Amino acid sequence: MKHPSQEILALHAGGDLGWMARWRTARHLADCEQCTAEVAAFDELRDTLPELRQIPEIPWNRIATEMRANIRLGLAAGECVRSSGQSLRDGPLFTGARAVVALASVLALMVTGLMLEGPAPRMAKSSEPMVQATVNGIQRRSGDQAFGLMHSGALRVTYSVGAQGTLGARYTDPETGNVTITRVYVE
Amino acid sequence: MWNNMKTLTAIVFLGAASLRAQDAAIPQGAVNVNLPDNSPLTVKSFSVGDSRATARGAALALDLHMAATLLNSSTRRIHGVTLRVVAQEVTLGGKGSVTYPSLNVGPGENFQVRIDMQLMRPSSVTGGPLVQVDLDGVLFQDLSFFGPDRLNSRRTMTACEMEAQRDREHFKRILSQGGGKAALQREMLESMARQSEVSQLAVSVKRSGRAVTSAATGNEHDAEFAFLQFPDSPVEPIKGAARISGNEARAPHIEVRNNSNRPVKYVEMGWIVSDSSGKQYMAGSLPSADSDLVLPPGRSARLLQETTLNFSAKGQPVNVSKMVGFVNQVEFADGKIWVPNRQNLDNTLLLKVLPPSAEEQRLTDIYRKRGIDGLAAELGKF
Repeated sequence: MKHPSQEILALHAGGDLGWMARWRTARHLADCEQCTAEVAAFDELRDTLPELRQIPEIPWNRIATEMRANIRLGLAAGECVRSSGQSLRDGPLFTGARAVVALASVLALMVTGLMLEGPAPRMAKSSEPMVQATVNGIQRRSGDQAFGLMHSGALRVTYSVGAQGTLGARYTDPETGNVTITRVYVE
Repeated sequence: MWNNMKTLTAIVFLGAASLRAQDAAIPQGAVNVNLPDNSPLTVKSFSVGDSRATARGAALALDLHMAATLLNSSTRRIHGVTLRVVAQEVTLGGKGSVTYPSLNVGPGENFQVRIDMQLMRPSSVTGGPLVQVDLDGVLFQDLSFFGPDRLNSRRTMTACEMEAQRDREHFKRILSQGGGKAALQREMLESMARQSEVSQLAVSVKRSGRAVTSAATGNEHDAEFAFLQFPDSPVEPIKGAARISGNEARAPHIEVRNNSNRPVKYVEMGWIVSDSSGKQYMAGSLPSADSDLVLPPGRSARLLQETTLNFSAKGQPVNVSKMVGFVNQVEFADGKIWVPNRQNLDNTLLLKVLPPSAEEQRLTDIYRKRGIDGLAAELGKF
């Protein structure tokens, strides 16, 4: 017998599987004590650690609330555009207005999802050339290209910055004993 | 022919390293050291030792360790050397310099230099030697200079030499006055204590625009510079400001007036920032643009740099509360250079904020390694 993966069982325990996967997993669980025990263990874990239901970095609950709100909004909008005497079951499934509302709802959902879970504003990386100090040196970085002059092993390093776009490091070379000044240039 | 062979070697190496996408030694031919025929320096030996190239995803990380022994083949004592280091065609615009100030190399004597580099480049790019090392300048004891000076190394090394002379004289005076070696020892201990107390900023600089990693609060405002005045300074700062937003300073500008009777061609202002607790840091320097400034006696000019500086210390942003400027360096049209004297620095308590000069750093290192007798002997050489 082929068992579902741990991920599938965990998602099943949380009720997060799609209907087809949920049906297949439920069928399997009906005949498999081992997997049923696994699902029970996941259930226990969820009860023990309720905070898992709201992982700080991924606000699933907030997303779910937003999604539900958008679905309700879509349905309400659908009600508004539907003619008063016509029941949902009587009319054709896709009228022009319904299709527009449905599409708008899906778009709203996608935009909300992207806004909530999309990458944070790219503050840390820039393709624009810049000079900066690193752990053991100074470097000019531009996108994924970098040029660095290192001072590994130097004990006392003094940095100097030129507002025209230079960064310097001064140190005594531990091997040669020479005072050494390295400098990198933005341009 | 030799250069072509080196280039070919580098291309083959780069191609091979890219294809194999794993750790590989960098051959000596990947680095091209170029000294002019009439250079006062001769390369006696050169190696790239334990240099490696390592594939990191789609990029290639190059760890270069260059060591060379250079011979003073001139008839004069050398007091400074600057090498220009360019990662040709590999990291576009990847340019740096390595300066060795405070040298004292007599004719026929050797000295060793080391250059450690790290390059990160896309593994798909190939061509040319990895690194080109050129001579940018040699400064002699009499302040004469040799070299193309593409990085203004003449000015940089001359200023270092002026500071070195100033600080050596200071320590020699202490040694020769009543206190002798005991007084010199006290001065060394004070210097080392000062050096350990100087707070350093981590500063990143980029051309114009807002720095991307800043903790800028958004309420950008103009902050005025306050100035420290030195009585004997040939240039006087009049007014200045920068756009401040949190830990970010943008487009600093300072207006200066030439109070001397000689034309000035370069001014560099020191720039100190204070955080909200009043702690002071040496933030950097604000130089005049290299080619723009010609400042006749009695005239004013504006130093302006369209850059953005981002300040932090120990991983935390340092919000700029106050800014202080002072004249750090002046170059006259005849190439002579003025730097603040020791009394200027003492009187304004700048010594507690500024890092030591290269020479003071070298002398304290000698004191640490060889003691007070070794230091006294070193001072006796000048």
